[in-house]
Amino acid sequence: MSQQQKPSSRGPRVNWRKLFEPLRPRKEGTMSAGMILVVILVALCLAGLLNADATLRKSNAKGDSWRNGIARTVASVTDTFQINFFRNAIDDAIGKNQSSEIDVEELLRQQAEAESAAAAAEANKVPELVAPTPAEPMKIWVGGDSITQTFGTSFQRITQSTGIFTPTLDFRVSTGLARPDYFNWPEHLVKNVLPANPAILVIMFGANDGQNMLDANNKVLERFSEPWLAEYRRRVSATMDLLKSPTNDRITIWCGPPPMGPGTKTKGMDELSYIYWTEAQSRPWIQYFDTWPFFTDSDFQFVANLPNADGVVRGVRQRDNVHLSTVGGDRLTWAVIDRIGKLVDISAGKVTPPPGQGPPASVVERTEIPPEMPGAE
Amino acid sequence: MPENSKGTAVVSALVFLDERGRSSVRFSVQLGNFSMLFPTIDFAVFFLVVFTVSWLLRPHKIAWRWFILAASFVFYGWWDWNYLMLLFLSIGMNWFFGWAVFRALTPEGERTNASRWVVRIAVIANLGILGYFKYVDFFLSTITERMRSIGISVDTPLLNIILPIGISFFTFQAISYVIDIGRGEWRKPLNFLDFGVYLSFFAHLVAGPIVRASEFAPQLEEQPDPRYVRSGEAFMLIFRGMFKKVVVSSFLATQIVDPVFANPDGYGSLAVLLAIYAYAIQIYSDFSGYTDIAIGIALLLGIRFPQNFDSPYIALSLQDFWNRWHMTLSRWLRDYLYIPLGGNRGSKAMMYRNLFLVMIIGGLWHGANWTFVAWGAIHGGYLVAERIVRAKWKGHELGLPPLLVKSMQWFLVFNVVCLAWVFFRAQSIDGAFTLLGRLFASGGSSAGVSLLLVVVIVASVASQFVPPRVPQKAEVWFATWAPALQIAALAAGLVLIDALGPEGIAPFIYFQF
Repeated sequence: MSQQQKPSSRGPRVNWRKLFEPLRPRKEGTMSAGMILVVILVALCLAGLLNADATLRKSNAKGDSWRNGIARTVASVTDTFQINFFRNAIDDAIGKNQSSEIDVEELLRQQAEAESAAAAAEANKVPELVAPTPAEPMKIWVGGDSITQTFGTSFQRITQSTGIFTPTLDFRVSTGLARPDYFNWPEHLVKNVLPANPAILVIMFGANDGQNMLDANNKVLERFSEPWLAEYRRRVSATMDLLKSPTNDRITIWCGPPPMGPGTKTKGMDELSYIYWTEAQSRPWIQYFDTWPFFTDSDFQFVANLPNADGVVRGVRQRDNVHLSTVGGDRLTWAVIDRIGKLVDISAGKVTPPPGQGPPASVVERTEIPPEMPGAE
Repeated sequence: MPENSKGTAVVSALVFLDERGRSSVRFSVQLGNFSMLFPTIDFAVFFLVVFTVSWLLRPHKIAWRWFILAASFVFYGWWDWNYLMLLFLSIGMNWFFGWAVFRALTPEGERTNASRWVVRIAVIANLGILGYFKYVDFFLSTITERMRSIGISVDTPLLNIILPIGISFFTFQAISYVIDIGRGEWRKPLNFLDFGVYLSFFAHLVAGPIVRASEFAPQLEEQPDPRYVRSGEAFMLIFRGMFKKVVVSSFLATQIVDPVFANPDGYGSLAVLLAIYAYAIQIYSDFSGYTDIAIGIALLLGIRFPQNFDSPYIALSLQDFWNRWHMTLSRWLRDYLYIPLGGNRGSKAMMYRNLFLVMIIGGLWHGANWTFVAWGAIHGGYLVAERIVRAKWKGHELGLPPLLVKSMQWFLVFNVVCLAWVFFRAQSIDGAFTLLGRLFASGGSSAGVSLLLVVVIVASVASQFVPPRVPQKAEVWFATWAPALQIAALAAGLVLIDALGPEGIAPFIYFQF
């Protein structure tokens, strides 16, 4: 037996050259299962490397630490070797936001010039707004996450019908303050919302924010941990600061999220509400609106069906126990309009809710928001 | 939107669903938390394992079947292990019905009274389960509303039943299996293991295509050659599907469809018109994208599924449209509903009635809401009208150039289909009319309208006119590329799709039916 005919002691040899030669399959359009496995496996690994930054961005928002660990390791390797250039080049080309941190300082700097000393003197006063009339309606903007979709639609319809408001609806599904890489609300507010000079902003976040976040040092903060709460509070306060008008002629009604029902897996709305409320206390231009009592029973526990002022019980939530139904959206809208009426004279408009739409008079906001609500989802 | 993150993903998924859901039961599927969607890393890992083990076990028929069954249960259980019991029940119950029907036939395979009764019981049992999950809450809420409208206050509790993912699809497959045996068309009931694999095979489990036992079971007996797997076609189908789903469908949904359908009063006629066309493309891209991926995945495992879409928006008649749209549901409705109702037999009036009824029931299959009834009625009514006009004008020539006639036919059919989609997508009948009314109203915002949007819509429609031989040639050509080149192309394609798509993957529209 010649030397070439001897079987290799290291087992069957892989002919790597085959990977680089065009295939000539005996049956058109086919390939062997083994080669397909190689192609899929290597292609997925390569895609994983090329896409490491984007995968890390998504992974950071997850609670599963082992996944996050893998994603960070892979991203670290690709960063070292700059393998992520391909994905980043695509993101640059299509203008996809890669930022994972709110550049609040920069945004604040943009506003700083406009803030005069006079405005500082007015800072401790609730802004005084000009009473709207049908001839001079008030610009009002409503926006936030997906819950604002139904609520905002009701709000837009009803405020328009009053004849004294010019509403704008601006909801963004799956957004909040936790993932500026997905949608950067502070930036959007400063660049796109405030230049239109709305006199009142009605804003709601929270439902999508119960997820891990990155701090300024790119450290993953586990959701609802102390560092997470501190970072979230920082983002809330910074966003609230951005909403301050230099001429003290704008009010933001910051709506806390309503309680979530059973089975939603969306937790911690009570803790977020507490943050919003406490931060609003020191900012007169922010008026916290407590949505909680409008969607709970007298013990402040989640209820899906509630009576309106006419006494008829209706479904105020969608079946997912997260979002509001149209009835719920109308109910909240009238409550918010009532609150606006306490801040500015709106008597020139049709602002009396039909009994079938508004909440009963007995349902009112809480005077104090507790750090945690027993039994809350 | 973060993908599958606990808590948030539920919200994210439901965000997608709630836009149409409101008080209807049709969008009660809780998809967001752990469902294993095709275009995710979870599924990629799952599939790599299944692909490898499947081909290793393929020579061992029994072991392969057990493995595929287990893999399918893992796939389904990823969503909610509790609902595996329902899948077990469906498998056990329908296997028993199939066996019982077969035993009740004559030795020659002729039907008997007993076999007919067993088939009826099987159909009732299956539809009973489907009805419970799909229609009970709608039924209760409708009764409550009606009673209230006549001044009787009743406190009917809503059961908040979660619609199990894919139940409509595997229930229809099970019914077809039992009926086929009852008709003597399928002469030998499958053994329990084969039936379990047929009903639960993960690639078609949650959103079809609706595969018949006569198409699937023979493939269990065959032993595909691992040297000749149809990789070119499979890769192209998977990538085409992912692009349609992740990029096109998501873009259209977020850019124009969701905002306009949520608040039609705020938009002008151009935005509303484009939103309607965009939804037609969105639902096609979403559903056919899923089907493409499902067919491609099965193909990589050596299983061939029937085609489910064949460029439906090039249809010149609505009958033609239904030969091209959700083809496996169309033939199911034809074979198990239209023909048993009498089909083309009997008078023309009866035929028209059957046609109309089938479309109404087809509409209700999608969910318990009057909007789906309206959608079915538009299709049914137009199909009937089409037949009447065709019969009346048979032999009459208009004297117009054939191309012009075809163009007019296409335009009419496409717009009728789009009109019906408005009802399919709207939250209520009132909502649909509000949206349609905005087509003729002045004022309103044109937010979301852009050149890119128009290009995507036009290109999506135009792509359907590309002859099938073009992608077929591309598939064959791709399979001749050096593997390294294929790897580079697939990796680049994946990254591009991920970059062009949103941050997370929205659930497929048809998961909810």
